[in-house]
Amino acid sequence: MESLTATSGAGVLLDLCGVLMLLCAFACLGSKLFNRYLTYYGAQSWLLAIACGVVAYNFGRVELWVLAVLTLAVKGIGIPAAARRLLIERLELQRDVAISTGLSTAIILGGALTAFSYLVIRPQLLPTGLVAAAVIPLSTAMILLGCEVMVVRRHTVAQLIGWLLVENGVFLGAITLVATFPFIVEAGVFLDIVAGVLIMVVFVSGLARQLAEASSAELRELRG
Amino acid sequence: MTTLVILLTLLPLATTLAAIGGAQARVAGYLAIAAGCGAVGLSIWLLFWIAGHRVLSSLSGFVYVDGLSAFFLFTVAVVVLLSSLGSAAYLRVQEISGELSSVQVRMYFGFFGGFASLMLASLSTGNLGMLFVLIEASTLASAALVGLEAQASSLEAAWKYIIISSLGVTIALVGTMFLFYSGTGLPLTDNLRLTWPYLFQHASELAHPALKLAFLLSVVGYGTKVGLAPMHTWLPDAHSEAPSPTSAMLSAALLNTGMYAIIRFLAIARIGLGTHYVQVVMLSFGFASVLIGVLFLVTTINFKRLFAYSSVEHMGIIAIALGFGGQLGLYGAMLHTLNHAIGKAVLFLTSGDVVLGYRTREATKVRGLLTTLPLTGTVLMLATFSILGSPPFGLFLSELTILRAGFAHGGLWLPLALLLLLVIAFVAFARRTMPMILGEPDIRSQVLRPYVAGEQRVLAALPIVAGIAALLVLGLWIPAGLHTMILESIGALG
Repeated sequence: MESLTATSGAGVLLDLCGVLMLLCAFACLGSKLFNRYLTYYGAQSWLLAIACGVVAYNFGRVELWVLAVLTLAVKGIGIPAAARRLLIERLELQRDVAISTGLSTAIILGGALTAFSYLVIRPQLLPTGLVAAAVIPLSTAMILLGCEVMVVRRHTVAQLIGWLLVENGVFLGAITLVATFPFIVEAGVFLDIVAGVLIMVVFVSGLARQLAEASSAELRELRG
Repeated sequence: MTTLVILLTLLPLATTLAAIGGAQARVAGYLAIAAGCGAVGLSIWLLFWIAGHRVLSSLSGFVYVDGLSAFFLFTVAVVVLLSSLGSAAYLRVQEISGELSSVQVRMYFGFFGGFASLMLASLSTGNLGMLFVLIEASTLASAALVGLEAQASSLEAAWKYIIISSLGVTIALVGTMFLFYSGTGLPLTDNLRLTWPYLFQHASELAHPALKLAFLLSVVGYGTKVGLAPMHTWLPDAHSEAPSPTSAMLSAALLNTGMYAIIRFLAIARIGLGTHYVQVVMLSFGFASVLIGVLFLVTTINFKRLFAYSSVEHMGIIAIALGFGGQLGLYGAMLHTLNHAIGKAVLFLTSGDVVLGYRTREATKVRGLLTTLPLTGTVLMLATFSILGSPPFGLFLSELTILRAGFAHGGLWLPLALLLLLVIAFVAFARRTMPMILGEPDIRSQVLRPYVAGEQRVLAALPIVAGIAALLVLGLWIPAGLHTMILESIGALG
C-alpha cells in the first residue's frame, strides 16, 4: 500500500494541503512585491511540511519525518529568511517590474496550465479512489506554474522563486505518489543545496555589479 | 572488483584534497594528471574484466557496471586525462600571469577533481535515485568551474547553467518517480524497484502510461544536461565562459554522462513500450538539436560558442542514432560518443591556447594561426576536419554508420535530411575556423606566446596531439578490442 485513499482523514488533509499550496503558487504568480513572493513561498513550504508530516504519520516512516522537519526548517524558515536578508534587504528590492506579460494574462495562463495538468494525468495513469489521483494533478499544476513564473518574470530573484515553487510541487507529488521512494530525503537535501547556491550566486552577482538590481533583463551580454 | 570501481571513482578526489591542502597549480596539476592516468588504467582493466564476467553488481545495486557503463567510464576517463593535461598547463599560465588568484586556482582544482569523480560515480551506479543525486551534484561542482572567473558574464553563465540544469534534473527526478511508480506490484523491495538491472528484467511488466510519462520526462530532464534542443540554452554560455579545459570536460564528458542516463531509461522503455514510441521521441529531439545546432553554427562568431553549438549538433546526431536503433544504430551511437568526446576535447583545448595567445574569443580577430602558433593551428585544422566528419578521421566512420542505420531503419528521407544538415554544418563551421587558421596574421594584433616554459608547452601539446592521433587511428581502423567493447555495451541493452 503506497498511497492513501481519498476518503480517509489523512487523505482529505493531504488533498486540502495540496489545494492550499496551489493557491499559494497562484498568489506568487499574481503578486508584484518581492516581499510577498517570499511570504507566499514560505506559507507553501509550511503546508508542504504539514502534508509530509501527515503522510509520515500514516505510514510511520522515519525518513518522511526527517523530510518534514527538513522542509520546515530549510524551506519554511531558512530560505525565506536568507533570501529576505541577503537579497531583498541588501539589494533593496521592492517592486518587481520586469514582467513580460500583464498580471491578468499570467493568471489566465496559469489557469490554463492547471486545466492542462488535469488533462495529462488521465485516469489510466492513476486508479481512482486514491488520494494521489486528486493530488498529482495539483502538484503537476504547481510545477507548471513555477515554470511559468520563471518564464514571465525576468528578474533573477523572481526566477529563483519560480524554481523553488517547482521543487515544492515535485515533493508534494513525491510524497503522495511514491511515499516509499528510497531517495526522497537525499534528493530533498540536494535540491536545498542548489537553492542555497542560487541565492549565493544572485547575491554575489548583485554585489559585483554594485547595483540594486540584478535583473536578468540586463543580462543581455550572452545571446544566441 | 567492487573496491576497484570505488577506487576508480574516488581517484580524482586526490586533486581536490591536494587543493584543499593548499597545493598550487603545478603540484595540483601533476596530481590531476596522475589521477587521470590512474582512472584510464583502471577503466581499461574494468573493460577487460567486464569482457569476461559481463556484469558487476554489488552493494544491492549501488555499484553496478556492465558493458555500457564500462564503455562510458572509459570514455569519460580518457577525457578527464586529456583535460587534466590541459588544465595543468592552462592554470599554471593563468597563475603566473596573475589572472587567477591562488585561491581561484585552488578552487579550480578542488572542483575539477570533484566534478570528475562525480561523473565517474554516476556512470557506475545502478540505482536510478543515486544517479539523480550524483548528476545533480556534478552540476553544482561544474557550475563553480563555469563561474570561476567571477566576472559578470561568467556569473551570468553559471546562474543560467545551474538554474536550467537543476530544473531539468528535477524533471528527471519526477520521471524517475514515475518509473518507480510504474513498478508497483512487482515482487521487489523498494530499493530494487529503483535499480536498473531489476527494472530492466521486469521491463515488460511495468505499467504502461506511467512508463511512457517516465521515459518522456527523463529524456526532457536528462536531455537538459545533454543539451538536446530546445533545452540547450545554458550550453553555449557555460561552454564559452568556462576556462577552456573545463569546457572540454563539459562538452566531452558531462554531456555523455547525461546521454548515458537517457540510454538507461531508453533500454527499459524500448522493451516496455515497444520501439516505435522510443524512436519517435529520440528522433524528434535529435533532429531538433541538429537543426538548432546547425542554424547557430551559421551565425555565431565567438569560436568557443561555435564549438558549443557543434556539441549540440553532435548530441543530436547521437540521439538520432539511438532513435534509428537496431544493432547498427546503437553501434554508431557508441562509436560516435567516443569519437566526439576525443574530438571535442581536442578542439576546446586548442581553443584555450588561442584564448591565451590572442586574449579574445572572437573568430574574426584571430588570423593566421599556422604562422603565429603553428602547432595549435595545425591541430585546430585537423580537429576541424575531424569534428565535421571528413575522412580519414573517426567521426566520418561513425557518422557513416549512423546514416547506414538510418537507411536501414528510418526510411529514405530522415537520413537524407540528416546528411543535408551535416553538409550545412560543414560549410558553416569551416567558414569560421579556416580563416582563423590560414589567413594572413594581422600585424597589429599582439600575439602572446601562450606557454613560456618548455614544461608547459609539452603539457599543452600532449593532449591535443595524442587526441588527434587517436582520432586518425579510429578513422582508419577500429581495434578489435574496441569493437568487442562496443558490442559488449550494446549487448548490455538486450
